[in-house]
Amino acid sequence: MTEVLIYIGLALIGLGAVSDLIAAIGMNRFKNFYLRLHAATIGTIWGAFVPIIGASLVAIGYEPLGYYRWFVAGAGFVAALLVLILAPAGSHALARATHRARIVRVEPCIADHLDETMCIKGGSE
Amino acid sequence: MDIVVTSITFLIPIFLLAFILYIIRAIKGPTISDQVLAIDAMTYDVAAFLVVLSIYLRIPILTATAIVLALWIYALDIYIAKYLEKRELGE
Repeated sequence: MTEVLIYIGLALIGLGAVSDLIAAIGMNRFKNFYLRLHAATIGTIWGAFVPIIGASLVAIGYEPLGYYRWFVAGAGFVAALLVLILAPAGSHALARATHRARIVRVEPCIADHLDETMCIKGGSE
Repeated sequence: MDIVVTSITFLIPIFLLAFILYIIRAIKGPTISDQVLAIDAMTYDVAAFLVVLSIYLRIPILTATAIVLALWIYALDIYIAKYLEKRELGE
């Protein structure tokens, strides 16, 4: 039973590491702040929530940790739940503030019903 | 049980490379929001990295720090968002 948990957990950690790298690359290549929100969401959900769940599963099956492994698994699941709830809320608050404070104009924009002046139609590309 | 140690040693460089790319965006980011977004996304991944490290280095208390780190990063986001919008921090 513990073998299965360890293999599933390691697969999740690997998946999380790869998606973390993809999100970091996306964060650098996307043109505009609003596009980078997508990269940030991938980075936080697939890059943080999934590895923490994987690490918690590995912790459950990992003998050398002794009985502390239940502590690590429990704290890991709590951390994963927190990341799942806090990350989208935080980035959404940041995006709302950026749009209302007019810091970043919507570059590749088709329609911006919140504030038409922020929309730059036919942006650079 | 050494598969855990060997496989995590291959994953640690991937995490570190991702952190470097996030820091590049944080430094290069044209606006404040870009920088805060890069740091925010990176630090959630640092929290995940902490949990993975707590298994790799067999230090159980490290997972508790990951919880605190996730909470702090949310606070950073809300402070910056509140400041950007209303130029006051709500103290």
